Amino acid sequence: MTMSGRVLHAQLHLLDRQLIDHQTGRLLGKVDDVELDMEADPPQLTALISGRVRIPAVRITEIDTAIKITPHDLDLREGDDWIEQHIIDKIPGAGNAPK
Amino acid sequence: VKKLLGVTLGILTAIGGFVDIGDLVTNALVGSRFGLRLAWIVVLGVIGICVYAEMSGRVVAISGRPVFDLIRERLGRRTGLFALIASFLVTLLTLIAEIGGVALAFELASGVNYLLWMPLAAFAVWLVIWRVKFSSLETVFGLLGLLLIVFAVALWKLSPDWGQLLNQATNPHPTGHESWATYAYYAIALFGAAMTPYEVFFFSSGGVEEKWTSKDLVTTRSNVFIGFPLGGLLSLSIAACAAVLYLPAGIKVDTLGQVTLPTAVALGKVGLAIVLIGVFAATFGAALETALSCGYTIGQYFGWQWGKFVRPREASRFHVVMMICLALSILTLLTAVDPVKVTEYSVVFAAMALPLTYLPILIIANDPDYMGDHKNGAVLNFVALIYLGLLLVASIAAIPLMIITRAGQ
Repeated sequence: MTMSGRVLHAQLHLLDRQLIDHQTGRLLGKVDDVELDMEADPPQLTALISGRVRIPAVRITEIDTAIKITPHDLDLREGDDWIEQHIIDKIPGAGNAPK
Repeated sequence: VKKLLGVTLGILTAIGGFVDIGDLVTNALVGSRFGLRLAWIVVLGVIGICVYAEMSGRVVAISGRPVFDLIRERLGRRTGLFALIASFLVTLLTLIAEIGGVALAFELASGVNYLLWMPLAAFAVWLVIWRVKFSSLETVFGLLGLLLIVFAVALWKLSPDWGQLLNQATNPHPTGHESWATYAYYAIALFGAAMTPYEVFFFSSGGVEEKWTSKDLVTTRSNVFIGFPLGGLLSLSIAACAAVLYLPAGIKVDTLGQVTLPTAVALGKVGLAIVLIGVFAATFGAALETALSCGYTIGQYFGWQWGKFVRPREASRFHVVMMICLALSILTLLTAVDPVKVTEYSVVFAAMALPLTYLPILIIANDPDYMGDHKNGAVLNFVALIYLGLLLVASIAAIPLMIITRAGQ
């Protein structure tokens, strides 16, 4: 983790920020909550919460005006995939880039 | 021409703010009742939207974050949700009106009732959103909308008493049997329309679609400083034409046909043909702007993948939101509600949405974490704060004035 040692203000730098896939640049949701280890001194960030998904802090690759993560198996696009399969993919042209 | 092609995002954005279906009628109505005595408010509105659109464009170019990202981030989940609901309703009501407006333009051209054109208009809007590249739609509808400049030509051809128009513009008060309350009501309606929130949603999201970076700051600014003043110019030309043709006769404008008539009087059939294409392009462009803004705001609030820079299947929730909005537009219009009246009710939600939209932009434009060396200067902040005050006053006064004047009657 390259983030160690940086002082972050949870409210200002983490909450309600955009989550982005580090590799693909896809938008993956917002940070709804944070999980902190209060035993440590100073308290350390252990995970971000987005919807029902818990994103362990090790997945974070960059904290800037958006937060980049490596999602791997985390299911952050569940809602999008459902609508894609049941509605969008049934319409012609869903997989084509616009002209 | 090449320079004009680079600023079509600004032009299309401004069309939605100054000459969408509600504004086309409101501008002409104001001209027919007050002459140019409300022209100053259009100028005030142009400056205000330039100030905040420039900020939102700069924030996007530097940080990559569009306006609703900023709103959610600075207002938090709860207040952000309130802002989302208010601004989404403004945008949706405007979309409904624009779909009706496109259909009305076809009714004027064909004589066939607009209710028959309306589903076709909604389908065409969806098809463009589904299949056409962002830069193409922005260029086509931005440039075609500029055909409304025919109102300026018509005004010149009508050879009006310029001294009298100038006299009206420099005497900002109601005359005759018009009251201060109706004057103030229309002042707020014009100011609210000029600074309507979906302009900054569309403009900043368009910046993301166009992949603006810090190298594009000049492009951003020329979009702002050419687009919005052009919008204001179109708006004033429409009011001036109505002031010349209708004010002396005491006719109050309330239909799209009356709005376009001065061009036919001045320029004959050619003028009418051009203005009809212009009205079609402006309402269709505004429909695209508002439909996309419905998707942008909801997508950005929840953090979903949004945008036309990815294939539709990769932003499926974004596309479904827009389809639902268009379906709602058809259903609402099928009740035979007057499309122009629909925009009047959007004033209520605009009053709630305006301060909540512009405050986060101002805060972030001053945040060194986001902006680095590109944060606001002191003079800009001063002007921006004055406008925030004006928006607040307009917000508080809008609903009481609407009730007192029975929506400007």
